[in-house]
Amino acid sequence: MSQTPRLLITGASGYIGGRLVELAAAHGIEVAVLGGAPPGSDVPATAWRLGEPAPDPTVFAGVTAVIHLGHSWASDARQKTSPDNINLVGGEALARAAFAAGVPRFVFASTTSAGPAARNAYGRIKHAIEQRLAALPAIGQGLVCARIGLVYGGPERALFGLMTKLVRMTPILPIVGLDRRVQPIHVDEVCAGLLALALDPLPPRDGRASSTYVLAGPRPVRFADWLRMLRRAQTGGSMILVPIPTWAALLACDLTRFLPLVPTVDRERVLGLAGTAPMDSAADLAALGIEVADAVSRLGSCRPARRRHTAEAVAMLRYMSGRSRLPVSAIARLLRGIDRVDPGALGLPRLVMLWPELIRVFEPSRPHQGHRLADRLHLAAMVAECLPRPKAARLARFSSLLTQAMLELSALPFRPILSRRYA
Amino acid sequence: MTSSPHDADIVIIGSGPAGVSAAFPLVETGLRVLMIDGAGREAAGTRTAGEPWRKRLGDGLEALVPEDGLSPKLRTPAGRRIVGDFQRRASIEGDGFIAVGALARGGLSRLWGAFVCEFDADDLTGWPIALDDLRSSYRAVTERIGVSGSATDELSTFYGSSGALQPSLPPGPTAARLLACHDDRDAPDFALGLARSAILTADRAGRKACNLGKDCLWGCERGAVYDARFDLAALRRRAEFRLADQALAVRLTRCADGWEVSTQDGRRFSAPRIVMAAGALGTAPLVLPLLPDPSAELRLLSSPVMAMPLVMPARIGRSAPDRGYSLAQLGYRLRYGRREHDYVTGSVYELSYLPMPSFAGRLPLGRRAGMEVMSALAPALMVATAFFPGDCSDNRLAWQRQGNRSTVVVRGGFDAGLADKRGRVAQRLRRIWRRRGAWTLPGTTLAAPGTDVHYAGPFGMGLQRPHGTTRHGELHAAPGIHIVGAAAFPSLPSKHPTLTIMANADRIGRHLAALR
Repeated sequence: MSQTPRLLITGASGYIGGRLVELAAAHGIEVAVLGGAPPGSDVPATAWRLGEPAPDPTVFAGVTAVIHLGHSWASDARQKTSPDNINLVGGEALARAAFAAGVPRFVFASTTSAGPAARNAYGRIKHAIEQRLAALPAIGQGLVCARIGLVYGGPERALFGLMTKLVRMTPILPIVGLDRRVQPIHVDEVCAGLLALALDPLPPRDGRASSTYVLAGPRPVRFADWLRMLRRAQTGGSMILVPIPTWAALLACDLTRFLPLVPTVDRERVLGLAGTAPMDSAADLAALGIEVADAVSRLGSCRPARRRHTAEAVAMLRYMSGRSRLPVSAIARLLRGIDRVDPGALGLPRLVMLWPELIRVFEPSRPHQGHRLADRLHLAAMVAECLPRPKAARLARFSSLLTQAMLELSALPFRPILSRRYA
Repeated sequence: MTSSPHDADIVIIGSGPAGVSAAFPLVETGLRVLMIDGAGREAAGTRTAGEPWRKRLGDGLEALVPEDGLSPKLRTPAGRRIVGDFQRRASIEGDGFIAVGALARGGLSRLWGAFVCEFDADDLTGWPIALDDLRSSYRAVTERIGVSGSATDELSTFYGSSGALQPSLPPGPTAARLLACHDDRDAPDFALGLARSAILTADRAGRKACNLGKDCLWGCERGAVYDARFDLAALRRRAEFRLADQALAVRLTRCADGWEVSTQDGRRFSAPRIVMAAGALGTAPLVLPLLPDPSAELRLLSSPVMAMPLVMPARIGRSAPDRGYSLAQLGYRLRYGRREHDYVTGSVYELSYLPMPSFAGRLPLGRRAGMEVMSALAPALMVATAFFPGDCSDNRLAWQRQGNRSTVVVRGGFDAGLADKRGRVAQRLRRIWRRRGAWTLPGTTLAAPGTDVHYAGPFGMGLQRPHGTTRHGELHAAPGIHIVGAAAFPSLPSKHPTLTIMANADRIGRHLAALR
């Protein structure tokens, strides 16, 4: 074995694969690709597809580990879980060839939805592959199945891409499985986990299936909350989710194929959502040394969310100071103050950014410590108080007071209900 | 005493008003004094120049935090820094109690309102000392720190007359009008007068007189407002005095002929006698472990405080004064019962000198409208505080050990009788203010226990229990340890206690000096 670790990756042109190749290279790990390489990357690639005969043994020369991410969705659609599914056949052939060539480790990317009775074919097939690989003779400690949760972050591809597109497109989304719990994990965290599983000594298993590790967010969140978080991060707005029965969702999926301008949603995706159950991942993550960051804060730091947050701070400061032009430094101070106590945007309606006076209908009339919007406005008032103020004439002061009184009166009827949104 | 094995003749724990006051008589008799100061490394200090936001919010935006009901004094950048540091570093936790302290050089005098007054014979009821025992100390302290106020108005006797006063500060226009409308005939048990403050109106010893620059809250760059660091600087010029920096005392242990203080960073200092001047809260973690039953619950006195917003219609529409000072303008006293301590005291502040947002947040309006109304009305607005005596509080303090960490937990509460007294007092005050041309606005609130920062008394002088102390503050359970601050007050009248804390420390300092 050479000194630098060498990885052979399948599915490198995919969502996780692309990022994995990048990260491995960044860690000084030698990477070769079996099948399609990530676009624009110069990693050595050997042409091969699932379903073709096992690749030439020379591709395995000096390889420390194979990470098998490749998956053929087309075969799932055609052959379902029949033994002819090329994911099954191809995965087994690849593992056999790798072990035969002396590769010490084979990491198979599976899913947290894997199971013999999973509702989607994907989960059942991944489970079947796990079973087949485990039945291979003489693999010892070499086989590792990584059950991966709901991956987000990075390029908008795969299921993550689909979800971000959907939440961006519409504030109202009819969807299944809203109460299901998903386990979001950032793509970089998945990649770190895969690298650890491929290259490090495997952490001991205490009495569990010897080769399976879970790479999924340790704190499951409701799918509905997850979509709302995504929506907030993408647009800063909130969203209405309409629960629908699975059959209706499947029908809708079929319709997306014929509708222009709407991303096509595969039935498989819907079934996958309808049938996931959380898995305990904390122990595995800890053993692998992977720290899973809080998804909300990670999503909140993406650019659209930040933009929205800033726009809200500007609106609050405009509202509180009564000025339309504000020094950038004052906005930065307010953002810093907010982020220390309650980071991220509130999701105020867009109209507020255009007409900050509207904020008044969303704030509580009663003194209210701990109301998210009221607390932010208090900070905005403190920042505004430090801005230079022109000395207003008495008449101007009086008319401004009168305007405020009228606006306040007109806002009163809305407050009891609207202020609850940001409590 | 140079052959002594000790680091000093006396170790004083705490560099606040009590610590420096005890130190003066000691060094003046030639005793070697070592002061232990728990202050952490301090940032450059309060900035008083530069852009307005730096002064108001702090370089690190320390003061930019949501409304939390603390007094405006504690919400300044320095206040946030000092109180935050105390809450992080002192092993004291509040349970329904806002524990305010200062592990900063100069102690709580860095954040105080500078209101000073003497206790009178009634206030000292139940104390093992008489007013005469304190009088010369009051005089010495008053002369040292510089106090301005009236020696001739209705409150001058009530506030005490032991020390010479500098001329009083001019109250703001609204407070002045309230005072002008005051007539003592309608309420004989109510007295109103000019505030008595440790603010200079004449230059002295390197400090300059107040120039009415309005910025008292954010640190007086002229040094007109007293803070114990001035005394500390004077003490440090004396050969007998040493200061141990960044030394947070964590433990007291008995050693040969005396006591040893261990600090958090492992230093040890010993002396035949220890003077505890670490504040009523800060004293507890050091002293409780010395008691026969360290985890017994002790009573901590505090003065429940109520704030009443007032508007003076005659001043509506006037512009805010250009000059003035932002601390208490007036003081008052109102009796509500027959016993010696049955009175409330308070001060009247003018709102146009104070930061607006926290007051605006109390109005039943939106924040913007609240700010507009506040700034339009500010020249006509005042806020009156009302402090109740310590017997209206019901706070318990106990030492708890969790693993190898020990903390003092203060459970806050009010005495059951307070609600009734508060209602009666508020009603009477409303009527009194009304007669003097000011209306009480909605929003009179009783602050959470501990907010007053007038803490006193777990180790009361004259108390015949192990946690009690002698008339010289010497702890029964641990002779050689003298508690000189408010921690040894047997009772707490509603008056501002700082001057008495200093005078009592001075008195005990003189006693210890005489023991030599």
